[in-house]
Amino acid sequence: MDVTELVREHAGRMTDVASPPPPSSSAAAPSGAAAGAVDATKIYGVGDAEVRALDGVTVAFETGKFTAIMGPSGSGKSTLLHCLAGLDSLTTGATYIGDTYLASLDDKSLTELRRTDVGFIFQSFNLIPTLTADENIRLPMMLGGDTGDTAWIEQVIDTVGLRDRLGHRPSELSGGQQQRVAVARALASRPKIVFADEPTGNLDSVTGTEILDFMRRAVRELGQTIVMVTHDPNAAAYADRVIFVADGHVVDELTDPSADDVLDKMKHLGG
Amino acid sequence: MAGSTQLLARRSLRARLGRTVAIAFAVLAGVSFVSGSFVLADSLGRSFDQLITELVQGIDVQVRSEAAFDNDDFGGDDTRPPIPVELVDVVAGVDGVAIAEPDFEGRAQILDPDGEPISSAGGPTFGVVWSGEDGLTSVTLKEGREPAGPGDVALDKATADRAGFEIGDTVSYVTDTGTHEATLVGTIGLSDSDSFVGASVVVLDIETGLDRYDTQGLVETINIGLAEGADADAVSAAVLNVLPAGLETITSEELIEETQDEVGEFISVFGNGLLGFAFVTAFVAAFIINNVFQITIGQRLRELALMRAIGASGTQVKRLIRIEALLVGIIGTVLGVLAGLVVARLIVAAFNAAGAGFPTPDLVLLPRTIIVAAIVGIGVTMLSVIVPARRAAKIPPLAAMRPDIGYTAIRSRRLVAGVVLSSIGVLMLLGGLFLASGTSAIIGLAAIGALLLFLGVASLSATVASPVSRFIGWPIAKVFKTPGRLAQDNVSRTPRRTASSAAALMIGVALVSAAAVFASSLRNSISATFDRAINADYVVQSDGGGGPGDGGFPPVVVDTLAALPEIEAATPFRIAFAQIDGDVKTLSAVDPVAAEQLVEFDVVDGDLSEIEITSLAVHDEAAESAGLAFGDDVDVTFENGETRTLQVDVVFSDNSFGLNWFIGLDLHEEVTAGTQDDLFALAKLADGVDAADGDRAVEDATAEFTQVNVQSNAEFLQEQEDQINQLLLVISFLLLFAIVIAVIGISITLALGVFERTREIGLLRAVGMSRRQTRRSVRWEAVIVSLFGAVVGIVLGTFLGAVLSIAVPDNIISELAFSPVIIIGILVGAVVAGLFAALYPSHKASSMDVLTAIATE
Repeated sequence: MDVTELVREHAGRMTDVASPPPPSSSAAAPSGAAAGAVDATKIYGVGDAEVRALDGVTVAFETGKFTAIMGPSGSGKSTLLHCLAGLDSLTTGATYIGDTYLASLDDKSLTELRRTDVGFIFQSFNLIPTLTADENIRLPMMLGGDTGDTAWIEQVIDTVGLRDRLGHRPSELSGGQQQRVAVARALASRPKIVFADEPTGNLDSVTGTEILDFMRRAVRELGQTIVMVTHDPNAAAYADRVIFVADGHVVDELTDPSADDVLDKMKHLGG
Repeated sequence: MAGSTQLLARRSLRARLGRTVAIAFAVLAGVSFVSGSFVLADSLGRSFDQLITELVQGIDVQVRSEAAFDNDDFGGDDTRPPIPVELVDVVAGVDGVAIAEPDFEGRAQILDPDGEPISSAGGPTFGVVWSGEDGLTSVTLKEGREPAGPGDVALDKATADRAGFEIGDTVSYVTDTGTHEATLVGTIGLSDSDSFVGASVVVLDIETGLDRYDTQGLVETINIGLAEGADADAVSAAVLNVLPAGLETITSEELIEETQDEVGEFISVFGNGLLGFAFVTAFVAAFIINNVFQITIGQRLRELALMRAIGASGTQVKRLIRIEALLVGIIGTVLGVLAGLVVARLIVAAFNAAGAGFPTPDLVLLPRTIIVAAIVGIGVTMLSVIVPARRAAKIPPLAAMRPDIGYTAIRSRRLVAGVVLSSIGVLMLLGGLFLASGTSAIIGLAAIGALLLFLGVASLSATVASPVSRFIGWPIAKVFKTPGRLAQDNVSRTPRRTASSAAALMIGVALVSAAAVFASSLRNSISATFDRAINADYVVQSDGGGGPGDGGFPPVVVDTLAALPEIEAATPFRIAFAQIDGDVKTLSAVDPVAAEQLVEFDVVDGDLSEIEITSLAVHDEAAESAGLAFGDDVDVTFENGETRTLQVDVVFSDNSFGLNWFIGLDLHEEVTAGTQDDLFALAKLADGVDAADGDRAVEDATAEFTQVNVQSNAEFLQEQEDQINQLLLVISFLLLFAIVIAVIGISITLALGVFERTREIGLLRAVGMSRRQTRRSVRWEAVIVSLFGAVVGIVLGTFLGAVLSIAVPDNIISELAFSPVIIIGILVGAVVAGLFAALYPSHKASSMDVLTAIATE
């Protein structure tokens, strides 16, 4: 069954209960999407204090592509990422990863999904401080009770160049090294998709470039799918596609952008 | 899966070493007290058992009189009437009996060269007889020879050495028949020991003993050594055959078992008392453990959320916390069991310092002790983390990026739980104290009720923590300006944490204050009862020891007093146990005419001065519950087996002394053979006699009786008060463990708080707060927290003490009293405790590097 159909069907069924009508076909996700959202709405607060962080967002992320989500502060880009990753729930609408509709999952299955199908890279505090780099990389597999694909993990470790730092604790690593460990961990379980939330936000530009370069190689050479939230046009320029979010809506997008293109668009958005 | 959580748990414990050590210490303290109590009871039990076995194993068969009835009262081992010494020869004549010798003891005191009785370092002093080194008992001659006549005496070697007596010295000793001088001819001991189980003993030959211990030709038992090849049962039967009725025989094994049971009962009461305090300590430790985990989970919020985000399930997070607790629990338990051995020794030393006279036992560690220690140590730790672990599991993965979401998830709802727990606690407590019957039901219900009440109040106190700590901190803020203000703010802005870190101290303080209220009430009640119900001027008690004969004194003392012209009335009080309608009652024998003048009876029917040898005087309520009324006849069976029909000739309504049944001395003398024991006596001056003259006359007349202590009312009441204060001191000492843990708990909480506020403290330092001011601010924070715990504890403890005092029958505690001195003492102690608790955290706070502190996220 096509993912799009599946999502529509789910959304349709939801309508009978509490949700708004299913999204129009014009915003359908392309076939083969690794993840996506359909008419995603997230509302915080009630009454006068009501904030629509997401307002009917429909978007799909192609498998094997590096997508950046950009937008000014408060645009809803982080909320979108959290909802796509199953860390937060929507008020109405649907998100999916592969052919799994997230709202249908209980906490146990969501946990399972995060462990096997999703990788995370956060801006900071990515690593368990008491574990070594090696243990941090293998933690998702250990939590699942297996050792994972050892050859793949070794390859990832070599690719990020961490071989000689494996026995160190996070506190003994530089910021850039810590982020590389985080990237390695995100890739180690061969997830369907990796979500990165401002992964270079705390790094100097040289180290940041290194990380972005590595993320792009992971997509090009290893076929990984990555979705990254950022507000740095230079970072967004590494992506195959950039989606612009403002006031809870997807307002524009660019394919194979340069940093200048991105900066241009951002100016129009007032970010 | 278990592998990863175990790894994480181990790493976390190692990374937060200070916290791990602190929790392990709390577990250790609780466990060591619990296991120490068991070790102590087992060790004492075993050494007494060995001693008993050693003492009596040589006796093949013992002849003694039958007990008329079982006396199950605590300490009331069956008292048996003595038997005529002539029967020794009869027994000796039976086939198969190789040795038959009498055994008996008497009151005796040893005088030092100045004529003062020598103290026996905690143990009693009494007299025994020498029966030869014949294998029946383990008494051995250490030096010189055995006593062989009225001019000879032997002492136990330990006492002789301590008093500096040499063989050949003249030694004076006092018995019921007066003061005697004799030559020290030998010293004795038990087997290899130089002492007589810690007691000081006078040893006489049998003839002299019968005479000077004034046994009236009666002995306690006849011990038999069998001829070679003789059968114990056959010889017992043959012996009983030639003896009059009312005697029985008992074999060596039965005798050992019986004696061990009696001693075992005492030791188990003692051990259970200690265990009670040990469980309080473990309970307090649980509060600390819970609090520390609660706080660290807040601090590890992002880490735990991160784990959730990368795929750990809630169950795994829960398991992580539980494994951490389990590991610390195991470490604390193992160390605690070892520390328990030290604790057992410490308790023995402490009790001996207070004059208990325990032997220093070989320590016994039974598997049962280890099992209970493990259940307590690991159980307490695991129970303490139930809530923290459950909260940790609720931390949403999103909190890895937005910690604010996480804090709402781990916030507790304490108010409802607090109200429910407190209400159930109070109901159980009151139900236990006022409605339940049976000691174990009362103690069980009341203890669980108090426990729930503590839990409930600990939760509830969070709701008053802000205003109360603001109030407590007010003077501190006034005096110490900004650091004081900051301390006041820091305490009152985190009411939950203030309440939970103060909770452990609150429990310790509550128990001390409850004991204080109880003790004050008891003291005042005794004094009030004495003023109201006693018209005497003097109280006579046995001086020192206790020992066989329960520390009584010979009747000659009261006779001498009564004969003084200055004395108007004097009566001894003797005790007899008797069976009335199937129940064992404690009867007091008095001189009725004198007693009526000395004690307020409020006679309802009859006349005390007309009591005859067939009369019984009964308190009205006791009579009612026994189904008796004025004028009724009732059959009373005495300890000698004799049953007499007595008439209720007096009914009285005041039993302030707690004594309900009275008979005359004449009846008592007829139904008890052998030595008469006066337990205490009252005397009063004749009208018109000047108190000073009376004192002098009484002093002169009783000077020769070194075995008694004649006190004025004031002296007697002072002694009672001293004893109560000493008891209070022992209770406080036993609670010290819990209080020390509580102080450490405050210290840990504060240190964790300082760690959390690193950035804030850095900021304060950056804008100009000095290290000294930082230190001061943390120090006063600790003082406010511990004062808060003390205040809540005093309120709760006073309530508990009052309820307890009200629950106790009126003839023991008739009025409530509170001791402001103790309350002030506790408050001062709380300030000191706070200062101690602040040592580490205040150092930590003041030694921070300002820049690093500010850069901390």
